[in-house]
Amino acid sequence: MPTETHIQRAFEDLQPIFGNRVTISPMHRMAYSRDWSPRHRSAQDLPDLVVVPHTTDEVVQLVQVALRYNLPVVPFAGGTGMGGGVAAWRGGIMVETKGLNQILELDLDNLSVTVGAGITVWTLNEHLARHNLWFPHQPESKRACTIGACIGCDNDSTFGIRYGKILENLTNLVLVTGQGEAVRLGHRKASFTSTGYKLMELVVGSEGTLGIVTEATLRVFPLPQTRQVRGYLLRSLNEGAKALERLLAAGLAIDSAHMNDRERLHFYTHSYREKYHREPEVPDWAEAILFISWAGDPDVVEFSMDKTTRILREEYGAEMVREQEMVDGWWDSKHRLEFIPFKQKWPDSQRVKKFGAADLGLPIGRLDKAYARFREIAAKWHQDILGMTVYNEAPNKATASISFAVFVDDSTEENIRNFYEYVREMSQMAVEMEGTMSSYIGDGDRLGGFNALEHGPSLEYMKQVKALFDPAGIMNPGKKFDTRWLR
Amino acid sequence: MNPLQALEQYIDDIYTCNRTRCGFCREECPVYRVEGYETYSCRGKMLVARGLLEGTLQPDEEMARMADECLLCGYCAARCALHNVEIITALREALAQAGFQAPKHHANTNQILTEGYLFPRTSAIRREGTTPLYLGCLYQSKPAEVKTILSVLEKAGFDPLITDEVCCGYVVEATGDAEGFARAQARFQQVYAPYADQEILTLCPTCTITLRDKYGLRVKPAIVAVAEGIGDLRLEPVSMTATYHDPCHLGRMLGVFEEPREIIRALGINLVEMEHNRTFSTCCGGGGGVTAVNPKLSAEIAKNRVRDALAVGAETIITVCPTCTPTLLRGAGRLANEVDKFVDVLDLWQLLDKALTR
Repeated sequence: MPTETHIQRAFEDLQPIFGNRVTISPMHRMAYSRDWSPRHRSAQDLPDLVVVPHTTDEVVQLVQVALRYNLPVVPFAGGTGMGGGVAAWRGGIMVETKGLNQILELDLDNLSVTVGAGITVWTLNEHLARHNLWFPHQPESKRACTIGACIGCDNDSTFGIRYGKILENLTNLVLVTGQGEAVRLGHRKASFTSTGYKLMELVVGSEGTLGIVTEATLRVFPLPQTRQVRGYLLRSLNEGAKALERLLAAGLAIDSAHMNDRERLHFYTHSYREKYHREPEVPDWAEAILFISWAGDPDVVEFSMDKTTRILREEYGAEMVREQEMVDGWWDSKHRLEFIPFKQKWPDSQRVKKFGAADLGLPIGRLDKAYARFREIAAKWHQDILGMTVYNEAPNKATASISFAVFVDDSTEENIRNFYEYVREMSQMAVEMEGTMSSYIGDGDRLGGFNALEHGPSLEYMKQVKALFDPAGIMNPGKKFDTRWLR
Repeated sequence: MNPLQALEQYIDDIYTCNRTRCGFCREECPVYRVEGYETYSCRGKMLVARGLLEGTLQPDEEMARMADECLLCGYCAARCALHNVEIITALREALAQAGFQAPKHHANTNQILTEGYLFPRTSAIRREGTTPLYLGCLYQSKPAEVKTILSVLEKAGFDPLITDEVCCGYVVEATGDAEGFARAQARFQQVYAPYADQEILTLCPTCTITLRDKYGLRVKPAIVAVAEGIGDLRLEPVSMTATYHDPCHLGRMLGVFEEPREIIRALGINLVEMEHNRTFSTCCGGGGGVTAVNPKLSAEIAKNRVRDALAVGAETIITVCPTCTPTLLRGAGRLANEVDKFVDVLDLWQLLDKALTR
């Protein structure tokens, strides 16, 4: 941990650069002491300083100060991560990146926008909408989540099945490395390159362990004229994945596709019952609900919807959800972040226990088996099941980025330990099933080190990559290669 | 008295925010937009409140300044399911109990409790009439504006009764003096007892909320009463492109969104909407007593709101609140020095009066 002397000296060095945008006040440090990850309700990870840079040059200067005193540097963005990625458990300088929130260039001819990495996905889209454009990488945390966080965490997106994750539409970025230098990585405004090594790709999902992203150039798209969402009841999760692949093979351009298990389905029907005082018509055989959206010109959307319904009904025996209010309510609360239909405001759902998840990526044929094991493992570690949601995060193919969500009782340390035991066992299951331990949360302070199980000897190469960008090991230490929870 | 007692009643909400961290309250919080630290957002304040309750943080002047720089505008509450405004008010109360009330707030509270009103006035404005009209401290100090409003109300067929007024006490409670507020309440109830069964027309949105929620009175914003009969009034058209700024208390908290817009449209004004409007409108910078403790911050927030208007091509901002109008006007003046473009700020009463007299 940093010494008091080093913290004080760093503060004195930073003050002439940042003025009142640097602080060692306990109150401000407290405000940066946790994210959305499961931990005891009184847990706090206090950074030693908080700095709010406004430019890349200021980030360079602060990293140089950190190098001088060997202080950890932790980038903070939306603070909505579920893996402890911004937990400053080794102290150091918390870098509030939201000051880097400028739109630097909107290039309409090339459908490209360059932004400061601290702009939120939501605000960026408000700006783009004025030009009839949008950026389709949209995590459910988009109102708080920044572009830099999307890059750093490699999180998921509502529209992944059509537009992929952020890497698909990221063309270059500026990284302030652990050496205290700003470097531009990527391929300018081209969508791809065959030259050099793909260093920009290394930064995606690096969780601030290689440096701090300060700027990004993104490919943007014309806003679709209309969007429709429907829900389909299916007989199994595996059947849902097959059906989705069939729809894509039919040539349909699907805009989003999310599949939920029985528990999640019951959660939605319960909300519907509460709001409308009517029993939704859900057949006993329904084991999954697949929500699909289409976007584009109205006639194309109409046709796509009809064709989808026909294929699912005739070839898979699926039924379209008749209570469209339930589907619209789900869409509004999850993806438009309008909470009124079902009053599913986040906090109200976490008054007693909080969400926690194992976020595995699995081959698509193992969903039913994974569902059964999920129930066993959750029961073993005393976790209340919230449900399983399968997100599709690569363009034009069925994939399985899965949230195995539980409600975590954060009133005792033992309960928190049990949650992480649950994550450990689920992660082992992912490797056994030829999948990955994390598909959208990242290693954070959970999986680092333990992930040798997944990466094998390649973890050593990863450590060398880390050393190249961050030889002093100051960039977000305690993440990726170290864990507080899993052994 | 335990200084944290006010906060303790919200302990469940505070822990709920701590375990949620969705951050949907943060990005458009007008104070956070200027100050830049998470601490100024509601989510940040909830962690500070937890620190106080758990004893890992101690009350101090810096914390009191932070709490006093909240506009109590309710934007965070509109994005949340918790009692955000009440919690921040309780945080102020806890800090005041611990001896950290801002001197300016202390002076304002004393002024209200001693004199019965907040702002200096030459003499109390009164009027004989049949329909009770509550002006509030701000309008009591603005006789010219009141004359305009009375002119509109009379032309619209109302016969307002303005009696001896005392302050509703909002400022006393909002700045953390719960005991003082109880005294202000007792005095107000004594003065307004004869009108407890009548509908009272109001002008200041903040007073309106207080009269409704703290005194259980039947209130109606006077602008709503005028909007209800707007179709029967003869109005000269006004030629301008303007946007409407929803005052936080009138809009988000009282739900009055469409009535002022109906009047603006009836005046023939080309109405353009700012990005953040109605429920998710952002504060002018004058809420929560911020102007008293940090006028510079208030002006920066006002400038941001004027920038919102500029972004949609509005020449004028129309609003209908005695706090919003001067605050936005200050912001517009200061911003004009930076961007060389002045956005005018007009009160809807003023526009109505001109249109009705031509």
